[in-house]
Amino acid sequence: MKPNREKVAYVFDGSLEGFYTAVFMAFRDKTEPSRFLAANAGQQIPLLEQLRHAPADPALAARVDLGVAKRSGAKNACMLKLAFRSGQEDVLLLIWRYLCRLFDCPDGSFCRNMLDPDVWDVLQAARRVKREVHRFHGFVRFRKTADGFWFALIDPDNDIVDLLIPHFRGRYAARPWVIYDARRNRGIWYDGKKSHDVVLENKAFSLSDGTLPPAAVADDEEHYCRLWQHYYHSVSIAQRPNQRQMKAAMPRRYWKYLPEKQSGHRQ
Amino acid sequence: MQKLRVLADAAKYDVSCSSSGSSGGGGSTRSAGICHSFTEDGRCISLLKILFTNHCIYDCAYCVNRRSNDRPRAAFTAKELAGLTGEFYRRNYIEGLFLSSGVMVSPDHTMERLNEVVRILRQQYRFGGYIHMKTIPGADPLLVQEAGLLADRLSVNIEIPTEQQLIRLAPEKNFSSVFRPMDQINREAGISRQERKKHPKAPRFAPAGQSTQLIVGATPETDFTILKLASGLYRQQQLKRVYYSGFMPVNSHDARLPALQKPPLVRENRLYQADWLMRFYHFRFDEILDEKNSQLDLQLDPKLAHALRNPQLFPVDLDKAPYELILRVPGIGVRSARIIMANRRHGHIGLSQLKRMGVALNRARYFICCRELPAAAASLYPEQIKQRLLKKGEGQGRQLALF
Repeated sequence: MKPNREKVAYVFDGSLEGFYTAVFMAFRDKTEPSRFLAANAGQQIPLLEQLRHAPADPALAARVDLGVAKRSGAKNACMLKLAFRSGQEDVLLLIWRYLCRLFDCPDGSFCRNMLDPDVWDVLQAARRVKREVHRFHGFVRFRKTADGFWFALIDPDNDIVDLLIPHFRGRYAARPWVIYDARRNRGIWYDGKKSHDVVLENKAFSLSDGTLPPAAVADDEEHYCRLWQHYYHSVSIAQRPNQRQMKAAMPRRYWKYLPEKQSGHRQ
Repeated sequence: MQKLRVLADAAKYDVSCSSSGSSGGGGSTRSAGICHSFTEDGRCISLLKILFTNHCIYDCAYCVNRRSNDRPRAAFTAKELAGLTGEFYRRNYIEGLFLSSGVMVSPDHTMERLNEVVRILRQQYRFGGYIHMKTIPGADPLLVQEAGLLADRLSVNIEIPTEQQLIRLAPEKNFSSVFRPMDQINREAGISRQERKKHPKAPRFAPAGQSTQLIVGATPETDFTILKLASGLYRQQQLKRVYYSGFMPVNSHDARLPALQKPPLVRENRLYQADWLMRFYHFRFDEILDEKNSQLDLQLDPKLAHALRNPQLFPVDLDKAPYELILRVPGIGVRSARIIMANRRHGHIGLSQLKRMGVALNRARYFICCRELPAAAASLYPEQIKQRLLKKGEGQGRQLALF
């Protein structure tokens, strides 16, 4: 990056559109972003830095996106959008650095060398997001509510809740379900035909273990949950314990909404 | 609930767990398997793995469910089991069903019950999840055919790697009762694939193929015999997977079986590593072992052992060498080898690049030529390399992470 440029922190609304708008502004104003702050993430706004607000502008964002696609292909533009969902702290600056180098290089050859550190880091961030989506195809646990809904609470590291739609729409096409991201306070509601974004106003579920109040769940829910817990403990072979591998494949941070990992139900 | 506990407990010794390889069938199965949970022994739960019943008329020495064992016995009804699978599936606990059973009355009778469960699931419940069914050795070919049309994957367990030993431990079984259904499944799956080329709507037969399981350490077979058998199964019967299960004494002492304190976990792991070499690393079984070296080294992983036996292949120049040779470098996996192939035209593959892609340099350093490494590393004698690696605690069989 050019050292003599003015350092500015950009504040945007947390959306991809907002971020790309901020990127566009930084390019236009020839500044060097010290960081990108998502206003909705509750981050501290620094006092000493120069701040600039980037109100999301679809037209500007589209120009950035189009520029990426033109130089490096539509697939790569998708990869960047995946990386943007990463929960990794420095990911936005990584993407910024990537974009700087990409726009410096008219034929886009820069991004074809994935062993370049600037390319590698962004690819890894995107890869981790994809991997978490795959993990959550397995780790989502639905509970049946008394009014015939299926409800699942998740707390993923990355912002992936809407990436789960295609899989679960294919699997549970004919019933209404909700998958809700507890940390980001937003979710997906599928009504049996279409999916919608939802934000739940009054939260009846428990944030500590994902359960619903007894009056709200279907009668047989507790029964099947119990059966599942018994099954989980029965299939493990006690003579060959391997906790290390279990934890590597299913890290502890994911346990809180998995009924089989909740204590108190141990045999 | 008691029933579930007894029959899940009785099924747990079957090590197969995957739900992969069934792309775009009638339902919602994926070509890459999905793990829904992991048990305390580190294995993935993808399917509801359960026995229809643990009653059994056979008396196989290695099996918990043999008739001479005094254990609680239980059996599901077809409806119960189909219902349970459906409810688990709806909650996204599982990817599908892994259905096996003890043999009650006769192989045909048992196979009919299993088919009935799966028929109810597929036809009444419109179940689109994954189904893995055990074929009962000795069941009628027509029943096997019906199973193949309903399930995603079929499997027949060989259990004991040579026929002579199988007959000694399981007097009611022989190799032909195992290989006949296996060959039939392979044949019918082939026919179905051909048919589907002509008529895309033609019925699928076991779209996720078939697998089998071998018990390791119950009988005196060498690793060479086992790998040779596995390699033949992959080539001739076109099996998708061979699972190896370290023998664990589950019955009160039987003079026909060795008295082991612990299952041979390291040996089992070495066999899986060798199996991976055959399936993903272009190794032939006779490159991994031969008549003279008929056991896998428990201290070294098989790829490292191969490299040390073949010093003439190394050091490898990562900037020029062909893919197959790069795959043979210890410490470089399939993913890294692909990255090297795709990116080396952009520049030299140096130490920092190797580190970045996660190559295990502590092993690889002795087998590659690389400017940043001291040239002496690649010119050591195999014996010296082995000593250095073992001293560091490398290759001590701590990596039980292959599933």
